[in-house]
Amino acid sequence: MTPIQGVKNLGVWVAIFLLLLLALAGGWVLRGAAQTSTTPNNKGAVAKPAGAAQKAGAGTPATNPPLFVDVTRAAGIDFHLNCGSLEKLYIVETQCGGAAAFDYDKDGWMDILLIDGSSIEDYKAGKCHPPKLYHNNHDGTFTDVSAKSGLNFCGWGYGVAIGDFDNDGWEDVYITGFHGSALYHNNHDGTFTDVTAKAGVANADRWGTSAAFGDYDNDGNLDLYVANYVDVDMNNLPKFGSSQFCQYRGIPVNCGPRGLKGARDRLYHNNGDGSFTDVTEKLGIDPDSYYGLGVLWLDYDKDGCLDLYVANDSSPSLLYHNNCKGGFTEVGAEAGVAYSSDGHEQAGMGIDSADYDRDGWPDIVKTNFSDDTKNLYHNDHNGEFTDMAGPAGIGAIGYPYLGFGVKFLDYDNDGWPDIFMANGHVDAQVEGQSFGVGYAERPFLFHNLGFESDHQIGAQSKIVKFEEVAEQAGGALAKKYVGRAALTADFWNRGRQDILFTNMDGSPVLLRNEVPSPGHWLRIKTIGSKSNRDGFGARIEITAAGSTRYAEVRAGSSFESSSDPRTHFGLGAATRVDAIVIRWPSGQVDKLGPEAADQELVVREGSGVVERSPARREPIAVKH
Amino acid sequence: MTGTAPQRLKPRLILRCLRRRWKPRPFKTKSKPEMPHGWGGLAPVFVTITAITITAILFGLSRLAATAQTQELTRAQTRQRLLQDLDSDQLRDAVLLGQQAVSRWPRDAQFRHYLGVAYFKTGDAKQALEQLTRARELNPADSATHFDLALVLLSQQNDAGAADELEATIKLDPSNVVAHELLGRAYLNSNRSLPAVDEFKTALKLDPAIKHGHYNLGFAYFSLGRNDEAISEYKEELRRSGESPAVVYELGHALLASGKYEAAVTYLQRGVELDATNPDVWYNLGKAQALAGQASQAEAALRKAAELNPKDPSPHYQLARVLEKLGRSEEARSELERFAELKKAQPASAGMATGRDQ
Repeated sequence: MTPIQGVKNLGVWVAIFLLLLLALAGGWVLRGAAQTSTTPNNKGAVAKPAGAAQKAGAGTPATNPPLFVDVTRAAGIDFHLNCGSLEKLYIVETQCGGAAAFDYDKDGWMDILLIDGSSIEDYKAGKCHPPKLYHNNHDGTFTDVSAKSGLNFCGWGYGVAIGDFDNDGWEDVYITGFHGSALYHNNHDGTFTDVTAKAGVANADRWGTSAAFGDYDNDGNLDLYVANYVDVDMNNLPKFGSSQFCQYRGIPVNCGPRGLKGARDRLYHNNGDGSFTDVTEKLGIDPDSYYGLGVLWLDYDKDGCLDLYVANDSSPSLLYHNNCKGGFTEVGAEAGVAYSSDGHEQAGMGIDSADYDRDGWPDIVKTNFSDDTKNLYHNDHNGEFTDMAGPAGIGAIGYPYLGFGVKFLDYDNDGWPDIFMANGHVDAQVEGQSFGVGYAERPFLFHNLGFESDHQIGAQSKIVKFEEVAEQAGGALAKKYVGRAALTADFWNRGRQDILFTNMDGSPVLLRNEVPSPGHWLRIKTIGSKSNRDGFGARIEITAAGSTRYAEVRAGSSFESSSDPRTHFGLGAATRVDAIVIRWPSGQVDKLGPEAADQELVVREGSGVVERSPARREPIAVKH
Repeated sequence: MTGTAPQRLKPRLILRCLRRRWKPRPFKTKSKPEMPHGWGGLAPVFVTITAITITAILFGLSRLAATAQTQELTRAQTRQRLLQDLDSDQLRDAVLLGQQAVSRWPRDAQFRHYLGVAYFKTGDAKQALEQLTRARELNPADSATHFDLALVLLSQQNDAGAADELEATIKLDPSNVVAHELLGRAYLNSNRSLPAVDEFKTALKLDPAIKHGHYNLGFAYFSLGRNDEAISEYKEELRRSGESPAVVYELGHALLASGKYEAAVTYLQRGVELDATNPDVWYNLGKAQALAGQASQAEAALRKAAELNPKDPSPHYQLARVLEKLGRSEEARSELERFAELKKAQPASAGMATGRDQ
């Protein structure tokens, strides 16, 4: 060996040593980062955001494990949504696709109902496009049981509401449609019977969109609100591009809703005998016949009486304050949720509510048209709301997107409600234009990062920040869809919130939650006894690791959707819930706990916990 | 409109801007004619006097009878004269001469171009459009014709048409900075924000010192909701061009939209110092102050906005919210009523409501 060769060999050994050292150091750093991602921070039970951890750790989205995986086909969902022409020449073709997650056979697993639309030709010819009901097989797959279900809605379907209107312990189905909706009673044997005529909720000659059940007078029976959109005649639809109301940025598009007559919403009071009474006029509901799209029952002032928020298209949204005496006062403008922050009408589509900043009061999220920010209305605890979309970080990014379905969910179980939004334009003609908006659009998943700082703002609330993580998560979340309905459910009873959203003229998307290392959780299924059987409207507070979270029990929200009615709480690092307080619509207050995390509690009003179910062990047998 | 980025750039602003920017093409100077020789000592004086006299007569005649005179001029001379008239703003003469030239040489694209410009400068956009369009048809390879046609179309608020002409200009002359800038504005006015960003970026790349370059780019970003980038561009514009009311206002506005309320208040306060007559600045100052928890100051600013633009409902909506926070519910209710009245009085909007299109 020459001296030079010796030096070369020495160099090689030094290089190998340095590489080993680097690898060890890298491993230590990554281990530290992984530990950080599941360690509670100084805000109590709040885990480090999964999205942020991924962002810091990885670099390119492709190397990250996806947060959600599209398992639609593997799960056996073969539904194709029909909604008129692909060109969307008429307004009736622009917003089909209702969807529901509910347990129709009471086996403890969430099943799926998908509402089909139609086409102008088929509708006129009387050709049916019935909804599809998929039974959950408990193994990650679903079976189409539509044929024997009796859910034979024949018309142009739009939305769906789920609720046990007759308090028999079985979930019933209400389907909204063009010029006629239908109520189906659950026969307890996997079949349903159309009871629309007897119930008196046909919503005849009106175009129903979203609907939701809620007991506004606390009589123990679920009432029904139906949002109606525009009053058009299928045989005389306004011609594509024919007037100033049929233009978008100078290009011809389908006409409306402006320029068309609005259809007045309906509020049906449940008489408790299988029939309903239309109390719309009596209670002064929607007197101006705005273009109704989103419906949300919530108790924003926590007085124990359900209030109602309705998102209207291209007109003011309406907030009905319940006076607890059987009546409502519309207070949208006073409360700051009727208009944009500048007092302009917005094109409201979907709405949902949750206490995103954990101050114990329900806040509201609302999707709007493109070229507009979406709203994140913070509840100021005094009957007013402040739109925090801008400072919270969901304002600017959503600007070019047209949002429809929207749901709060805690996808990583860190205890801070996140937001999912299904996006997609109503005008197919925007595709290929250079407007900065598209027809198909990717969805949003806003991860709640918790408080930004102690900076005080508005009504003494702190700023909670969100980070949009769908694009970096990649996979199904980064793809483009023409999204409409959106719902959340724990389809596999794993203690994780999955997502399902519908896609115009295509397959729905069933997204299985695959978040690595989610936090602990608790789920509560409410059974009312004096209150309505579903417990809709009950207010639940849980305390874990020194912090309290608030939620209201509901199924209907978002856009034309009904979600898993079981109330899900992410707990972060907490393995125990110290206290649970349930305030039922009847006025009954149940105080429970402590309870271990990672289980579902079935709570009966006045009786406490009547059943406990741990999470199913993973993995389940589904290929994707 | 209050509180959000204007959808269109103000027409008057465009027109002023165009007129400021428009420059006639330079003269094509000819060499001086040589003096004849062999007339003795008096000859030059005689020649000079004669020449002056003839010129004066010809000049006078030309003014009295342009037609006859044009017949006598060659095509080159007519071209020169036309340019001279345009440059010296002898617009009526230019129009007359141009008309004669076009009548005599109807397929000469340049005469139609010059006549179009003459019409435009006299304010006759319709005739200008006709002549420039014909000039473009006769010579589609002339970038100047496309450019001037675009200017006329912009003055007519025909942004889509202007964009087509500016695209053609740039295809023929990619280094035309002003064409890139104007194309960006035409795109922006047509809500085509993405290509607007590209054009403003190109203009800045070609000429980093271009006035309002970063302002325009910031405006385009803001229209896309890309607030952070807009803020950064506005700040760069301030750094390069010094303080201007428009830039300070837009910066404050973008900060407000981003939820940076205290910073927004700082810039918007400066904005009202620079231009106390703009109701939008007062409105957004009030809104920012309200959101920053400065309700009393917000009330004053919003009242000023309402005073400056009494038909705008937005200040009354904000005032209602501020007064409610101040515990003056009765006054808040009255402001909401005023808000509703003014909204009713507004003409109905077409299309989808976007929170900014009222």
